[in-house]
Amino acid sequence: MWQIDTTTLSGKVSMALIVLGAFVLAFGLIPVLQTLPPRGRRALIAVVTFLVGAFFAAEFFMPLTQDDKNYLTPGIQPAQNALQIIGSLALGLGTYGLVRLHLRNVVQKRGQWGYSVVLLIAFVTMATFSIWNTLAEKRILARTPLLDRGFSLLFDYTLIQLDAAMFSIIAFYIYSAAYRAFRIRSIEASILMFTAMVVMIGIVPLGAYMSEQLFGLPREVPPNAHPFSLEAILYSLRLPEIADWILKQLNAPVQRAIEFGVGIGGLAMAIRLWLSLERGIT
Amino acid sequence: MSYQHAADNWFSAIIIAIIAMAVLLNIFRARGGAQLYIRRIPGLDAIDEAIGRSTEMGRPVTMIPGLTAFGVVAVQALTIFKYITKQIAKFATPMRLLTANPTVYAVAQEAIHDAYNEAGRPDLYDPDNVRFLSDRQFAFASGVAGLIQRERVAASFMFGEFYAESLIFAETGNIVGAIQIAGTTSFTQVPFFVAACDYTIIGDEFYATSAYLSREPVLLGSLVGQDIAKFLFALTIAVGAVFATLKGVDHPFIKLLGMPGGWDTFWNAVLGGR
Repeated sequence: MWQIDTTTLSGKVSMALIVLGAFVLAFGLIPVLQTLPPRGRRALIAVVTFLVGAFFAAEFFMPLTQDDKNYLTPGIQPAQNALQIIGSLALGLGTYGLVRLHLRNVVQKRGQWGYSVVLLIAFVTMATFSIWNTLAEKRILARTPLLDRGFSLLFDYTLIQLDAAMFSIIAFYIYSAAYRAFRIRSIEASILMFTAMVVMIGIVPLGAYMSEQLFGLPREVPPNAHPFSLEAILYSLRLPEIADWILKQLNAPVQRAIEFGVGIGGLAMAIRLWLSLERGIT
Repeated sequence: MSYQHAADNWFSAIIIAIIAMAVLLNIFRARGGAQLYIRRIPGLDAIDEAIGRSTEMGRPVTMIPGLTAFGVVAVQALTIFKYITKQIAKFATPMRLLTANPTVYAVAQEAIHDAYNEAGRPDLYDPDNVRFLSDRQFAFASGVAGLIQRERVAASFMFGEFYAESLIFAETGNIVGAIQIAGTTSFTQVPFFVAACDYTIIGDEFYATSAYLSREPVLLGSLVGQDIAKFLFALTIAVGAVFATLKGVDHPFIKLLGMPGGWDTFWNAVLGGR
């Protein structure tokens, strides 16, 4: 239904016409939309939002026939493709904005314009090698030693390493943030610090070692022991058990409660957007 | 490719419909003039204080929607940023909005432009203040951290979806002495924000923000509907806990909550297999 055979000449021509038509429609639509008054534009956005939302909602609620599909299911993938295309166009817009800003910095010699020069050089170099590599993978351009070396130097030995370096910095930030959070300034901070200490010690082997060697608590409970027997009670006082209890019985329910709230909030927001009741940025 | 459908789990679909009804009914109730109460959220009261501080110091305000892709979270984040920008525009305080998603960037440009227009200061709008930095997580993080350090921002607002980069933003802001207010739907990042920021908006408070700031009847009504939905969830959990305790976890009502299947499975679960 949605596929064109591009191996035949007529298929190729059809595909080219569709792509050309889409471009003309997209770029022709923008000036037309710009001429609309704000109220007209808002009304158009509301109608399009409602129709697209109704399509997805109807597809979700309509009864299924065979193969877990209904009449609207084949339209889902093209709709998602359209969203991806819009995202790709926006990526071009974002890149244009970034380059424009840094070119202006350099041309007008604004403060710290040297950083902008570095960014522009890095941008052009990375883009060149990335596009070259993609074309070489598709066998449109030849793969040369310069491409291989340059690509691996820029991506494997520079970009990935810089990513890893930024990620590593988080470890130091955790120390400083934890120091401030755990300073005993109030009852809440004291409880937080004590709980954190129990969990941190409990989930590493030190917790089990301390429980058994320092406090003399049992390593395990006899298989048929009563839940309220002395062995079972002493076993449950081990640091790993307490840490596990805090994580599963206190932490997990709170996280789930937050998730429930976020989910309901998201759903309410989606309904408001769908019905254009949300006037925040529209 | 297979997609999720209501027929996969009718119980969930019914729950979604009930929540939607609760939200819509309360929106119409609020539009009809019902007086609705919203509790105080200190983090949101502090927004004006943070803007005032930036104005006094003559340093910029940063707004960061995190790695949020364009969706409900991004729309909510941009709604909050639009409100902040309107306040900023009154005092001509410099601002920077930094995004990692190109679609969010495009919408943010329009939203911020509108905010300056609505505040009556279109002359202050500079498209260069809304910036797309990179869609790579740590490239974006280093870009934001660098800007916060170089421009010594006085206030930093982080609203949206955040991942491991959250602490890089928050700690960098802390180093330059910025007032920081964060709100996120990513519950794994909440502890980092609580530790590093002055105020943190947790969980669904994030979605309450626009209602709190604007006091619009539609948004307040929606918030009441959300609270009713939360109460229904709490009730379901309580009933489930009682049933599970008295009858065991194999009871039909317990199975019903997570049971996949169509109407037959649904009625089988409700009627106990009859």
